[in-house]
Amino acid sequence: MSLRVSLLLDGQLEAEEVKPALEELAAAPALRDRYTLYGLAGDALRGNATPDDGFSIRLFDRMKREAVKIEPGFDPLED
Amino acid sequence: MQSVERPYAAARMAEKEADAELVRLAQRGDERAFQALVVKYQRRIARHVARYVRRASDVEEVVQDAFIRAYRGLASFRGDASFYSWLYRIATNAAFSFLKKSAGEVQADERSDEGFEPGVTDEQSPERVLIAKQIGDAVERAMTRLQPELAEALVLYEVEGKSYKEIAQMLGTPIGTVRTRIFRAREFIARRLEPVLGPARDRRW
Repeated sequence: MSLRVSLLLDGQLEAEEVKPALEELAAAPALRDRYTLYGLAGDALRGNATPDDGFSIRLFDRMKREAVKIEPGFDPLED
Repeated sequence: MQSVERPYAAARMAEKEADAELVRLAQRGDERAFQALVVKYQRRIARHVARYVRRASDVEEVVQDAFIRAYRGLASFRGDASFYSWLYRIATNAAFSFLKKSAGEVQADERSDEGFEPGVTDEQSPERVLIAKQIGDAVERAMTRLQPELAEALVLYEVEGKSYKEIAQMLGTPIGTVRTRIFRAREFIARRLEPVLGPARDRRW
């Protein structure tokens, strides 16, 4: 499955394979770790080796807390 | 290694399409798809924002705001450019808004002093700086120990910005071989990063 994680990261899965891959990630923390580490390896190769100190967790918690939703008509590029 | 970011090849042919399905799912309300996009791009976006915003805590606030604005506005993303390009523009706007709000024009002027190093924020803890260095060193070491054909495929993809198809053509191998080589290279590096990063549960999304 880690191969599929690598392919997911690179957008190399067929469209119909993406949702099942996300479900597998959701069910397996170790696969989410792989997704994170593979991404970190790529960023580090490009000179950006900043560790993930929990940013994603804090963001997702905030989005849940603030009940952030997709808003049709909202343009994020406008002030 | 981590002080100078190599230019990311935004022109990668496949990039525009690479996130298409994740974005489509996210637009339909699949939060996991959006989370996968956040985890993929948060480091790059944070580095970009840190070019404008100095304090690490402010960088985090701006990056969070950018991702939240992106999520709220997902319906407006049409896919004319890559998702990352769109996110990059949102983050730039968020950084400028932050600077304006916090009287940051003064901060920006001060920042043009010679001592300012783009992408390096003020309040990075020594521990965080050390870990970043350890990560960079671990990746460099791993690359020197990787089988050359695996390292070559990964560098072509991650550093040179080539698509899988281009790499297959350059190396004269089937695309399936490229997939496997990139995966094996990543896995080799990942195993060497784990001890540097410590327990995964502390940073698990």
